[in-house]
Amino acid sequence: MTPRDSTAASSRRRPSLSTKPRPRTSASAAPPTTVVESDPWSGVPVLDPRDDENEVLEDMNCFPDGVPRRRKTKSFSNMRHPVDGLRALGRRLSVSIRNKSSRHSVQPLDSCHDSGSDSWDAGVRDAAVSRRASLSSVAGWQYYAPIAVPIPGSGRAPPILPQNIYAGSAARAAAAAQNEMARSERDGTKLADPNRLTLDSESGIGIDLRDRSEGSDVDLAVVRLDPVTFLPPEIMSQVLACLDPPSLMQAELVSRSWSEQASSRHIWRQVFRRAYGHHRPSGLSSKRKQPAGLGRPVPNQDWKRMFLVRRALEHRWKKGKAAAIYLQGHTDSVYCAQFDEDKIITGSRDRTIRVWDAHYPWPCRKVIGPSPAEVPGTGPVNNPTQQTSGTPPFLTIHPPPTQSAGTGALVEGTDDHHSASILCLQFDEEIMVTGSSDYTCIVWDIKQDYRPIRRLSGHRAGVLDVCFDDRYIVSCSKDTTICVWDRATGALVKKLLGHRGPVNAVQLRGDLVVSASGDGVAKLWNIASGLCVKEFPSKDRGLACIEFSDDARTILTGGNDQVIYQFDANTGDMVRELEGHGGLVRSLHLDSASQRIVSGSYDMSVKVFDAETGELSIDLPGWTTSWMLSVKSDYRRIVATSQDSRTVIMDFGYGLDGIELLEEGS
Amino acid sequence: MAANQTLTFQSSDGVDISVDRDVAERSLLIKNMLEDLGDAHEAIPIPNVNEAVLKKVIEWCSYHKNDPPSTGDDDDSRRKTTDIDEWDQKFMQVDQEMLFEIILAANYLDIKGLLDVGCKTVANMIKGKSPEEIRKTFNIQNDFTPEEEDQIRRENEWAEDR
Repeated sequence: MTPRDSTAASSRRRPSLSTKPRPRTSASAAPPTTVVESDPWSGVPVLDPRDDENEVLEDMNCFPDGVPRRRKTKSFSNMRHPVDGLRALGRRLSVSIRNKSSRHSVQPLDSCHDSGSDSWDAGVRDAAVSRRASLSSVAGWQYYAPIAVPIPGSGRAPPILPQNIYAGSAARAAAAAQNEMARSERDGTKLADPNRLTLDSESGIGIDLRDRSEGSDVDLAVVRLDPVTFLPPEIMSQVLACLDPPSLMQAELVSRSWSEQASSRHIWRQVFRRAYGHHRPSGLSSKRKQPAGLGRPVPNQDWKRMFLVRRALEHRWKKGKAAAIYLQGHTDSVYCAQFDEDKIITGSRDRTIRVWDAHYPWPCRKVIGPSPAEVPGTGPVNNPTQQTSGTPPFLTIHPPPTQSAGTGALVEGTDDHHSASILCLQFDEEIMVTGSSDYTCIVWDIKQDYRPIRRLSGHRAGVLDVCFDDRYIVSCSKDTTICVWDRATGALVKKLLGHRGPVNAVQLRGDLVVSASGDGVAKLWNIASGLCVKEFPSKDRGLACIEFSDDARTILTGGNDQVIYQFDANTGDMVRELEGHGGLVRSLHLDSASQRIVSGSYDMSVKVFDAETGELSIDLPGWTTSWMLSVKSDYRRIVATSQDSRTVIMDFGYGLDGIELLEEGS
Repeated sequence: MAANQTLTFQSSDGVDISVDRDVAERSLLIKNMLEDLGDAHEAIPIPNVNEAVLKKVIEWCSYHKNDPPSTGDDDDSRRKTTDIDEWDQKFMQVDQEMLFEIILAANYLDIKGLLDVGCKTVANMIKGKSPEEIRKTFNIQNDFTPEEEDQIRRENEWAEDR
């Protein structure tokens, strides 16, 4: 299909599930009650607190301050002079159109010093400089004024919209309109120092030029200099680095020398990072780092190319254009997933944890859990037939199941695994923590091939969600409690009591924990005191998932009300409701860097909302054949898991030329 | 040393200008020099800056003399926007030549704040303009061949599947 088709398709969303053959498990709206551990609100995924200690954003300044810069610029005044005559000539040629209505303007500051004896700038420049008069500056103003309006792009280029009209025009006025201030100042200084007069004789050429211009008018007064010629490259580079990407691209088209300057990597690195780099608040994040698509800080990185790739990627997000990659191997509902650039880890009702390669051909690297023989009769798996009813994938990929993984050859013969469904998991660079219907959590050593380190026992029912940071592991359970464990020792630090229903989801930021319960209330807790600080009730029914922004200021909850509630964590006020789902909202993910809220629902759709406006931006229904159980996203993809035993990577960067430039991995 | 000690600068065109020491020390070049050499009793030559520009620079330094000292870290936030505060905007309402001279002087004298404001001012003269408008603003000749220009345009418009 052509891009245009898919655009059209993406804007349609039909509540068309009724027309489709329904998977068995989703036929009833009520949560299934037959299986103990498949509580519909259980096994809700974990947001990955992000790490910013590891920011790949060290500023590699190509132009260090200090000595080299000074040395380079020392000669500027010498360099300038030979050009002066030309400049004056250029001025004459170029400025004459621009001062039609300027003559009657009143300029308060000029003139009174005009008669001063020129001395201070007796050099070559004198002739040109001293001709500048007030009127010309008004001409300058008129010249600059129209720029505050949008400029239609040339050819197929997008229109250029002034980003900050006020500041822009003011600064332009600053730059162009008021020669008088300078004039009066300069003239003032001339008056003040008449004894420098003698130096005038050095500037024969300058005087010549002035004589010729004596009879001409104020047209010549606006000085126009090419900053690329006038300023040393490192300063011009600092100037250009202030620009937004569209302006910088326009600057490239000015002339050859501008093109050379404006396409420099140094500048594009700054521009790229300003556009996409996001310094996350430190102190609240753990070591886990969600890929942000900022590329590697290697020498010779092509930052401009990266910008173009990133822009194309954002374009795909806008259109909802993604490829579907189905990871098949689990034999029952996949409750939870987390991923980074290297791997995707999923946990399932089939009691196994699978580690998948995040790159082509997405093989299953490892299966952790009991061998298939130990698992009695696998649960219902829906027929994984493609079912599309909204924005379909532009490409569907079914990597062949990894044979060895399927036969259990990858399964470690360890006794230490969960004896029931894996409901939740989170990992960072060092450990992974899983929670299970067997009432326990297991802490795994990621660096030592997922060796189990310890088991956390304390809950009296299934562990529905888990999250951790550098200090604590927080787990919540169907037993209505939340346990806070010491990450290093595994000791139970605190139990948070107060929910009156199963606690389906939990998130941790610093000393703050938020939790969402089937009793319909989300709570904000302080770990230090162990007390509930605030409550955020749903309007009607139970809550299934919760998300806590990196800055701990925004709380999102979802559940049986089929809407997403957004709360201000400080005031406790509900900010808004995000509508669109037609079923229980089962999973939420907030990508602060990209300003996207991703949600997965029992209506079998994944939806993407704009985190700033709350608008539904992409609807991805029917990519799986059953309930969406977990969603996570980063700069280029959404990973969603389903009751149909599959994990789907919705890859917006698939096949995008140069997409690998955005990867941050070493 | 007294805080209000007065120094004398000598501009490139030989003019002596008195400056309070705290104002003068907005310039890291001067500050470091004074630290290295001790008190200067004679006029300090500023060989690259003429009187008019030097006076502008001193005016800026006087107004900003109580600003917190530059932290020295070259963080992006300083360049994040092209916003300029009101006083600085007025201060920068000069012709292009003076503007560039101020930037060069700020660079030479190592006055980071002033250099930043200057660069932002020039950036604002470029921002949001078409190439032709930029050329007019700075009186630049377009030395591209149509092919070259087209090539750059196409490169910049790349977005895989418009």
